[in-house]
Amino acid sequence: MNGTANAKGAPNTKTRRLLIRGALLVVYVLIMVLMIYSGRRHTILIDNKDAADGSYSAINGMEVSIDKQESSEYYPGDRDKAMVQGQKHTIKVNIFDDNKTIEKSFTVPLWSDVMIISVPKVVAGIEPWIAPFTMAEQIQEAQESAPPAGETTFQSLGSMIPEGMEEAQQSP
Amino acid sequence: MSARKKLSTFFSRYAVVIIFVIITLIAIPPSGLSIKYILQEIITRLGRNSFLVLALLLPIYAGMGLNFGMTLGAMAGQVGLIFAVNYGISNWQGLVFALLVGLPISVLLGYVCGLVMNRAKGREMVTGYILAFFINGIYQFFVMYMLGSVIPMGNKSIVLSRGYGIRNTLNLESVRQSLDNIVMLRVGGFSIPLVTFIVIALLCVFVVWFKKTKLGQDMRAVGQDMAVAEAAGIPVEKTRIVAIIISTVLACAGQIIFLQNMGNLATYNAHDQTGFFAVAAILVGGASVTHASIANVFLGVTLLHAMFVVSPLAGQKLFGSAMIGEYFRQFIGYGVIAISLVLYAWRTRKAAAEARLSLRGAQNGPGKGNGKPAVGNGGQA
Repeated sequence: MNGTANAKGAPNTKTRRLLIRGALLVVYVLIMVLMIYSGRRHTILIDNKDAADGSYSAINGMEVSIDKQESSEYYPGDRDKAMVQGQKHTIKVNIFDDNKTIEKSFTVPLWSDVMIISVPKVVAGIEPWIAPFTMAEQIQEAQESAPPAGETTFQSLGSMIPEGMEEAQQSP
Repeated sequence: MSARKKLSTFFSRYAVVIIFVIITLIAIPPSGLSIKYILQEIITRLGRNSFLVLALLLPIYAGMGLNFGMTLGAMAGQVGLIFAVNYGISNWQGLVFALLVGLPISVLLGYVCGLVMNRAKGREMVTGYILAFFINGIYQFFVMYMLGSVIPMGNKSIVLSRGYGIRNTLNLESVRQSLDNIVMLRVGGFSIPLVTFIVIALLCVFVVWFKKTKLGQDMRAVGQDMAVAEAAGIPVEKTRIVAIIISTVLACAGQIIFLQNMGNLATYNAHDQTGFFAVAAILVGGASVTHASIANVFLGVTLLHAMFVVSPLAGQKLFGSAMIGEYFRQFIGYGVIAISLVLYAWRTRKAAAEARLSLRGAQNGPGKGNGKPAVGNGGQA
């Protein structure tokens, strides 16, 4: 009788043990995924520049904060960065001229390291105002926007020495 | 036992602790450091190191001596942190992720370590030390060649300029003091990393609880006498392997806690001294190769790190060079391990001699046994 019970019980125990171990493994992986989702850090570039095609222009003066971080002031041509953790965030823009406050939510894709937010686009309501930022694309854009004026020379690319330094170095 | 003998036993048992207390007390005035500064440093270092030192307890209970093989766990923790930084996981989530990555690696390494130690019974300490060197070679190969070539690394800032291998120093800015800063208690001008201490306290509770379990009792039985434990039906080898696996896993977590407090990772040699300083700390606390307690851990970390805080400045003031203090640290660390091992050997030999003597006395004493009186001086030698 006992032997029959054992013979019947053994596979049950084995299956149950296998199921528990499998479930634990799934929980383990799920915790890992949860940590990646909630802990992944992203860099957000906050940009206040004119559009190359003139469709929008930089804001004269504003205060921008992301989530509950300390706000920073931005003037035309400024670009700064903020570090955020997780995917869902809010941006709060306070424009100095008309004291208007705009608050918008955005989601950062999980595997994007750097995103750029164009605040003038946010204010003008132009979509998409948030985009992934890659250095290669920026270089390509800069090259495309440069005027195709004949042969490129080192002079046309500009000097490597900062403007103020040129005079000082030229002087004897 | 006479008072003199009691005093002698006390001094021989706590010689290292007494030496350390005296040296530290002597070194404090010339260092010029305030007591408040020293206390704050000790609090910080208790949070940083205690977990690692606690990892040594279970192998001592199992009679495997001081587990120099804990370095293997430290390497697993470092691999976990490298992946956390690579995937850009910050804050305490980064630490949990690093632990989850390091956990299976440390279990595997602990299992291998346990298997090897079962084949080197009685010489576990030196075996663990050499095994750490061997696994270090594999770690170097993995981090220097595999990461970035076989295993893709998305974060190019941590990869060497040649395209594979991890940089010498890794900035752990994303996880820096993320456990300590969850709740930083400020009491009387002191900053106390509350969550870190809660984690350490939980480990202490675990150790106390574990000693009372069947497995814990088995470990103590194995630690006292392997042959008797085997005869009693305890799976000696399996129990020893479990002790080493738990120790390695705890070392993995301990190294993560240590590095998050430091804020950077010396990729290729951060683990080198992990076992050495943990062993030195527990010995300074009054533990021996066969006996250790939670109190030894905290006393040891406090004394060793008080010495580490004051010795460079005391060295500078007394000898005109801070390097003297730095050398002193190394000298003290190795010296403590040497003294403890020598004292342990001396005590064991003394205990054996006393046992022999008392046995002879019992055999030769008047009115004992049924045999003829012994010829000679009656065992009074």
